[in-house]
Amino acid sequence: MKTLRHRTVLLAAGLLVAVVPPLEAPAALDMALGTRKVVENQPVSACNQAARSALTSVFGGAQELGSDTGEWQAYNAGDTANGVTESAAVHCYPVGNGYVVTFTCAAQVPPVTETAAAMCTKISAAFDAKTTAMQTPATSEGGR
Amino acid sequence: MRGHRLFVAALLLGTLCCGAVALASVDLSAGIRYVSPSGTLADCSAKAKAAIEAYLPGATESESGSGDWLATAQNPGTGAPSAAAAVRCYGLPKGYVATFICSVQLPVNPYGASALCLDVAHKFYGGALTPLAAMPTPTPVPSGCATTNLVGNWTSDDNPKLTFKMGLNGDLTDSDGVSGNWNIDGSKVTLTYYGNHTMTLSPDGKHLHGGGYSLTRQC
Repeated sequence: MKTLRHRTVLLAAGLLVAVVPPLEAPAALDMALGTRKVVENQPVSACNQAARSALTSVFGGAQELGSDTGEWQAYNAGDTANGVTESAAVHCYPVGNGYVVTFTCAAQVPPVTETAAAMCTKISAAFDAKTTAMQTPATSEGGR
Repeated sequence: MRGHRLFVAALLLGTLCCGAVALASVDLSAGIRYVSPSGTLADCSAKAKAAIEAYLPGATESESGSGDWLATAQNPGTGAPSAAAAVRCYGLPKGYVATFICSVQLPVNPYGASALCLDVAHKFYGGALTPLAAMPTPTPVPSGCATTNLVGNWTSDDNPKLTFKMGLNGDLTDSDGVSGNWNIDGSKVTLTYYGNHTMTLSPDGKHLHGGGYSLTRQC
């Protein structure tokens, strides 16, 4: 009788461990409106190039939604325990002789530890770094 | 040794049969833009706030006069936000441009980001509106000595140190942490706890007798 009880307890414990998920805070959706920049005297193609580069530096890739729309999106690959947990969009739009660009981000917290706002700041900084690099003329040493 | 094998077998069985949980995922929609040849940034902002609030409560502007509007919706099922929509307005020399971005957490949110953004955009500039599925409602926790369930805290009449916490999903845990299950059919109760015990619930929902146990509910 005692052995039967022991087995029942072990069986129940095994099923409980396998089926019941660990108690943790529910994943919350965090969405942030990042900065908006207005850049003068630059073609929108420069914005597209920087948007792609910035998103790729954070997510490892980026895609334009449609052809020549200036709407760029990227997301992380997730893992076996989670699907996509971070995603971001960069929108370029021509204005006058320059363009306006916006950054928008979304994250699932947890498992992601950084906020969507922090992610947008990171992408925006990468965007700035790229545009600065594009504006800096390449130095060359030439001789006659 | 046998015990360990039994535990591992149960663990594997439980994982195989019930472990296929859908992965939670962020769904982002960012592909809708509207360019108006007329109107001001203020016009865009007014329409943005109204369009978002048709679907999500309490749209706020990130900074006064920025034209950036955002709202999130709490999911009562999880107690955390699972949907968000944004409209970003920018004034042009003539008219304005509005960008629509939405994100949801799947599968807990009952609709996708594209469906949400399409409705917000159509509300903004006109177009067919498709009703979005309602957010799930939280399951109310029963209170009192209901005769339709055993939810609550129970104490053994023979041994006051032995208590049981019976949960909403038919689960139970005793004061030593040993778990089991309960099921009720009319007044007939089956308690799975060191084997199956057939018991009877009293008409006031306060007492359980039979199968070698006698329990009283705190209510």
